[in-house]
Amino acid sequence: MRMSSLPRRGLLAGLLATPLAARGEAAQQLTVWHDLGDNGTKWFAALSAEFAKAHPGVTLRATSYPTDQWFGRVVGAVNTDTAPDLIFNNYERVIRIAAQTGKVMDLKGVLAGIADKGFLSEDDLRVATYDGRMIILPIQRVQMAFGVRKSWLDRIGEPFPVTWEDTMRVAQKFRDGHPDGDPGSKVFAFGLEAAQPRDLIHILDLFTFGAGLRSTLIDAEGNIVVDEPQHARVLEEFLKTYTAYGFVSPDTINYSFGEMYQVIEGGKAGMFRVGDWNVSKWDRPDVLNGDFIVGAWPKFFADRQNGVVIGGMRGIAVPENSPHKDLAIAFASFMLTQPAQQASLAIMGAAVRKDLDVAGLSPRQQAFAKPTWALYAYDFPESIHPFYPQLEAAYHRKLLDAIARPPADLKAFIAATAQDMRVLAKQLAEKKD
Amino acid sequence: MASATLASPPPLVGGGWGEGWRLLRAWRRDSVFYLFAIPFAALTIVFGLWPIVLSVMTSFTASATALKSVPVYVGFANYTAILRDPLFFSSLGLTLLYAVLAVAANLGVALAYALLLDSPLLAGGRGFFKLAMFLPVVTPDVAGYVVWRWLYDQSFGALNAFLHLLGLPAFGGVASPATAMLAVLVAELWHHAGFYAVIFLANLAVCERALEEAADIDGARPWQKFCYVVLPQLRPAIVINLVYALIQFLKTFTVVVVMTKGGPSGATNFLSYYAYQFFDQARYGEATAMATVLFAIVLLMATAVYALGERGRV
Repeated sequence: MRMSSLPRRGLLAGLLATPLAARGEAAQQLTVWHDLGDNGTKWFAALSAEFAKAHPGVTLRATSYPTDQWFGRVVGAVNTDTAPDLIFNNYERVIRIAAQTGKVMDLKGVLAGIADKGFLSEDDLRVATYDGRMIILPIQRVQMAFGVRKSWLDRIGEPFPVTWEDTMRVAQKFRDGHPDGDPGSKVFAFGLEAAQPRDLIHILDLFTFGAGLRSTLIDAEGNIVVDEPQHARVLEEFLKTYTAYGFVSPDTINYSFGEMYQVIEGGKAGMFRVGDWNVSKWDRPDVLNGDFIVGAWPKFFADRQNGVVIGGMRGIAVPENSPHKDLAIAFASFMLTQPAQQASLAIMGAAVRKDLDVAGLSPRQQAFAKPTWALYAYDFPESIHPFYPQLEAAYHRKLLDAIARPPADLKAFIAATAQDMRVLAKQLAEKKD
Repeated sequence: MASATLASPPPLVGGGWGEGWRLLRAWRRDSVFYLFAIPFAALTIVFGLWPIVLSVMTSFTASATALKSVPVYVGFANYTAILRDPLFFSSLGLTLLYAVLAVAANLGVALAYALLLDSPLLAGGRGFFKLAMFLPVVTPDVAGYVVWRWLYDQSFGALNAFLHLLGLPAFGGVASPATAMLAVLVAELWHHAGFYAVIFLANLAVCERALEEAADIDGARPWQKFCYVVLPQLRPAIVINLVYALIQFLKTFTVVVVMTKGGPSGATNFLSYYAYQFFDQARYGEATAMATVLFAIVLLMATAVYALGERGRV
């Protein structure tokens, strides 16, 4: 049947006008690259749906890469002007992107334009700033607490350990008894890691900062702190945990995150690191079924309050060559709003706002969401000393050697290591200059 | 490395229509060969040679600018830096030691297994034993090494449980610097030996049986027969396997990533893995400099072995 006598152009215009009028703006897609896996993609999908309410026609496509691939892809894309609109990761990882490309936008002006931001502390803003530029908007405070299996504590008749002496006593009972109720199984007091610098030194950071100290290896002024009395005590006990005390599996020396998680989730470790992002998985019946308590790291010193470590800040960054920069900035700002932060807490277990509804969370998630413990922020020496990765790698080799071949005199070892680190730090600092 | 004899076009000599048709037919025949070879050659250049060229170019750039659109070239500064690094030399030494041990172990075991499989004394089950030998080769290497790590586990591993049953001391596996290299070598032997055995078996299949029979008639002992009759005929397989194994084990990487992460305490910190760690520290220039040095060593050694092996062949 032939077309009616209606003018075709008018019909076409009418057909096109209706959907465009309904949308209000042209359909656009923002892209964000992260390394949070399926959970993160699920979270960004929730954010996209919420953002679309105020920005009809705008969608968000989130792509997750393994962390080591994320670096190369982001740096390559930003350097070749094929950048995504947004990148999301830990602050110290975005630092590397900023250092490698010089093309991460300064978001100071963006934050200044956000009225509702009183929940962001000075520490939060400090860990979002690199080289005088705000390279991320802080979105998720990364807390790392000390976790202990509840049923194991009940079985040995001990409360959650507070001091290091309590922890040692509990660890010995875990090591020598059968706290999992199975006389035939072998379990360990701690589930830790050691293989790479960021494995072993990271755990040492938690023990150190959790004890209320600042800096693990080098402070902001460039002084090596390893042999200061309180630091040396923590380090000595830390090394003995891996060696003389027999609190960890002998294979821990080769463990990285994957293996450490296998030990924890396999129900073979009594005490371990718990990140706020771990809780939702470990609350599942097929993992730990919520059978763990989270609290502050062991207290080493009477004059220092122990606490939980803010191991980092995850934030959203905007490349200078973001294809839809204005919209990307709008989305980044949106991520600090109450609905976005509520989704972050519900799906990722972390946020920065303090006015979120926690009623639907498990006791362990609530502990992170409304912390009653002291919080100590990690000092990010890599953002202060450009040579820090090399210094840390050298320190890691020394500590790993002490674990593989324990020295007879740990105090002498610590003193000698501190001196070696001083010499190396000076050399590296002079080379960078 | 068996050399392929490429068909070369006939010389353009002579004249006349008959000669021209002959040449045209020859070109048409050879062009089919090149038509099939060109896609593979193109893939090799794009995905094989070009990344090597780029990697070498990156080794001359400042790390902080390596991934920029216009990198800053710093000459041989990265090479100087790695040559001043004592860990580079210890890593290189470990790599060379491991390669020698692994090549000897793999070829020795592969040859012994191939001779057993080729023996007329093996009455039945030849197919089963061939499958058993080759199955580890086709097993995904990461999966295999994960299982080996579990076997070596100091607390739950089946190996130490078995040793305990026999009243023997525990094996340190990958948890001890003294035994980690051996543990890795055994895992790699399990994974690779079957491949080399297949090459040996193929060569054994074309060996002259008449020569062995003649040696028997002349009263040669088994060891003499093996050394003077069988082994010389296995020269092609030995050369191929030696070159391939050298390349394989000089660039050992996957087993370290899965089982030891270069430890414990640097005991398995082979050069490929050491260079990989530099990428993690964004020291791309030094990482690719190390990779280039390793590439040069592999190329030199493989070429030398191949040349020595081919020397005197008719």
